[in-house]
Amino acid sequence: MSTEELATMKADKTVDARGTSCPGPLLAAKKAIGEIQKGQIMEVLSADEGTKRDIPKWCKKKGFEYLGTVEESGFFKIFLRK
Amino acid sequence: MANKKLTIALFSGSVDKLTAAGVILGGAAAEDMDVEIFVLLQAAFAFKKENAMTNDRVAEITDKKDDFLASLERLNAPHWTEAFRTAKEMTNVKIHICGFAGKVWHGEKLDDFIDLADDICGIGEYMTAAEESDINLFI
Repeated sequence: MSTEELATMKADKTVDARGTSCPGPLLAAKKAIGEIQKGQIMEVLSADEGTKRDIPKWCKKKGFEYLGTVEESGFFKIFLRK
Repeated sequence: MANKKLTIALFSGSVDKLTAAGVILGGAAAEDMDVEIFVLLQAAFAFKKENAMTNDRVAEITDKKDDFLASLERLNAPHWTEAFRTAKEMTNVKIHICGFAGKVWHGEKLDDFIDLADDICGIGEYMTAAEESDINLFI
């Protein structure tokens, strides 16, 4: 997915995990994924570096589609499709 | 496909090692692993009802203990009991108190320990769990 598409992506669910450290963001993502339908898009906000690599790997293991990561000021947004 | 199994021989009763165990449990929960924790010797101290929340002993870099504890707060790290509790909610986690370890710290029955503990067991159960696991840790 291109940077432009990611930048304007509207998620069906947003998980703001910026207040927590590893494994917080990953667990928050796991909890939230149960609340959306297959095909829907989830966005995870985090400031934790490890999370940037953890979530794409977790997507691969679980069969979700990792769409991309957008860098913001002081944090980043990870997009995935269930 | 069956869930992977993780066995933890939890020996340590210090907050730094218990916090690390909590993070590992978080990782296991994210992977939907089946976890069995065996609370051994010093960890049994930390699991006693009267100690769980007040115990702030650290095993390493003890001269910087205050910095360490302050950082955990600053980073919004959950208390290890909370991390264990969250993992229990998200995946299968069984926590066994080693009978001998419990007695060392004057704990005779399950009720002497925090509610996270599921039962009291012996060494045989640990060996069986360890043999059947994909991952074995001694913390």
